[in-house]
Amino acid sequence: MTTSIAPSATHTKLDIRALNVYYGAFQAIQNASLAVPDHCVMALIGPSGCGKSTFLRALNRMHDLQPGTRVEGKVLLDGSDIYAPGIDAVAIRHRIGMVFQRPNPFPKSIFDNVAYGPRLHGTQDKKTLMEIAERSLRSAALWDEVKDRMDKSALTLSGGQQQRLCIARCLAVDPEVVLMDEPASALDPIATSKIEDLIDGLKDKYTVVIVTHSMQQAARISDFTAFFLMGELVELSTTSEIFTKPKDKRTEDYITGRYG
Amino acid sequence: MDSNLGYAGGAPKARLPLLQRIGTQRVVRFLFGSAATISTLVIVLMLVFLGIYAFPAIRFNGLGILTQSVWNIGDQYGSGHVVRAGITAMQGAQFGGLVFVFGTVVTAFVAMLFAVPLSLLVAVALVYRVPPRLRPLVNAVVELMAGVPSVVYGLWGIVVLVPFIGQRLGPWTTEHLGFLPFLGGPAGSGNGLLASSVLLSLMAMPFMVATIRDVILAQEKSIFEASMALGSTSWQAVTKAVMPSVTNGIFAAVLVALGRALGETMAVLMVCGGAVGIFAQNIFQSVNTIAAVIVSQLESALTDPTGLAQKSLAELALMLFVITLFVNIVARLILHGADRSGEA
Repeated sequence: MTTSIAPSATHTKLDIRALNVYYGAFQAIQNASLAVPDHCVMALIGPSGCGKSTFLRALNRMHDLQPGTRVEGKVLLDGSDIYAPGIDAVAIRHRIGMVFQRPNPFPKSIFDNVAYGPRLHGTQDKKTLMEIAERSLRSAALWDEVKDRMDKSALTLSGGQQQRLCIARCLAVDPEVVLMDEPASALDPIATSKIEDLIDGLKDKYTVVIVTHSMQQAARISDFTAFFLMGELVELSTTSEIFTKPKDKRTEDYITGRYG
Repeated sequence: MDSNLGYAGGAPKARLPLLQRIGTQRVVRFLFGSAATISTLVIVLMLVFLGIYAFPAIRFNGLGILTQSVWNIGDQYGSGHVVRAGITAMQGAQFGGLVFVFGTVVTAFVAMLFAVPLSLLVAVALVYRVPPRLRPLVNAVVELMAGVPSVVYGLWGIVVLVPFIGQRLGPWTTEHLGFLPFLGGPAGSGNGLLASSVLLSLMAMPFMVATIRDVILAQEKSIFEASMALGSTSWQAVTKAVMPSVTNGIFAAVLVALGRALGETMAVLMVCGGAVGIFAQNIFQSVNTIAAVIVSQLESALTDPTGLAQKSLAELALMLFVITLFVNIVARLILHGADRSGEA
């Protein structure tokens, strides 16, 4: 089934058309098409191994780093294909940031973590970097906890703080889209709720695509939800609709808890 | 009924296998505990033995073993003796080890100058640039290099490396680049510092490549991806994110390799030129290391009727032992620290 559903919205930020991803001979994503409107949170849900993370990683060309992985189809960012010949994946990742499942701060100071991206892209002025760091850390709801110890190692932070630092690090390069791959799955409930709260605040400036295995989380934070099953995009709808009146039987089975 | 119960409860217990009765846990703990204790004990006993055996030499030589450069076992055919600190040696005996300490440190250091950058490059290439299909092959080559006996490296040194240095590289370099420090002056035969260091670096590389590759792989993926996701090039990701996060591991690998290079004997003995009483003025001239001199001087030392020549060699051995032990302990401490910070 080829579903191309564009949720009614003003502007389409990401338009994914007929996406196929292969790990060697194995096809992990089958002909998935979906559109992500600007300034919204889209959740990708589905059971383990359904391909939701694989799909997410295709959106900023992370699969390029994995030999033997092949991506077919189009991913249009503001209308232009990020997989088109001559497009620089490095520039794409600058515009489409990513937060990973496990917090992965660099073993550097808190400041150096946030300043890493801006420095890469040419900002060296300490004062400017400090402003960027403060703004990013505020957006990631971490500023108050770390403002007095910016020169301490990021590894001294708790897991939840580390993940918010990774979000701040991602925001510091001023991306247009933020991809999140189960960002709270390694965290306790309190840290999780902090992450969820901040994601809601990101909508004003960014477009967020988040993979989650928690349907409650998807329901709490997202505007749109896409349900994946065995590499297939089964259903895409507004979050309230998908959880109250799913159109597909398989979606209904999943949200009522019939697939572990 | 009673007897039945007693039978059911008692007899099977008696029939349990020996290991189970003692408790597998305790057996295993004993085995591993004693193995660990014995290996530590061996090192301590070797130190103690060497110390006791070399003690007369330590008293006779004093600080001279570190400050003097003349090694002379004395007049073995005369009847004259010299007594110092209550210890008797043959007339004219002087055991200065400075040339050998110098040679040991400098050959190992220069070897690291070659081996560290090369190993870093090879390790990074192995992780990022070698196609997955070729990786097992390159890894196998690296491991085979580690398995080549040092005497084979030494023979290659004598047959290929030494003539090349002595006949081509040395003369050319001293003539054209002689104005640079450590490159001027007589080029010598090819046996010497450069040949020793090249062999040492070749022998150190497999271990360093394998270790650096492993610390990168252990840390790498999430750090590398984090950097790439921020819009870095893969070169930036490696140099600015991955490498700084594994510096401790790399440093430890270098120290362990250095410890081995300090003690490497056979290959160095074959190409070092066997300097006694003279310091190399440039990278081509003869040197000698503690390990090499112990082998090359042992036979003549055994003719010393006072036994002090042998004991002085033992003192050198003790020094080498302490140096390598120290380097290795520092390396382990750093590696341990790196593991812990990696976990956090």
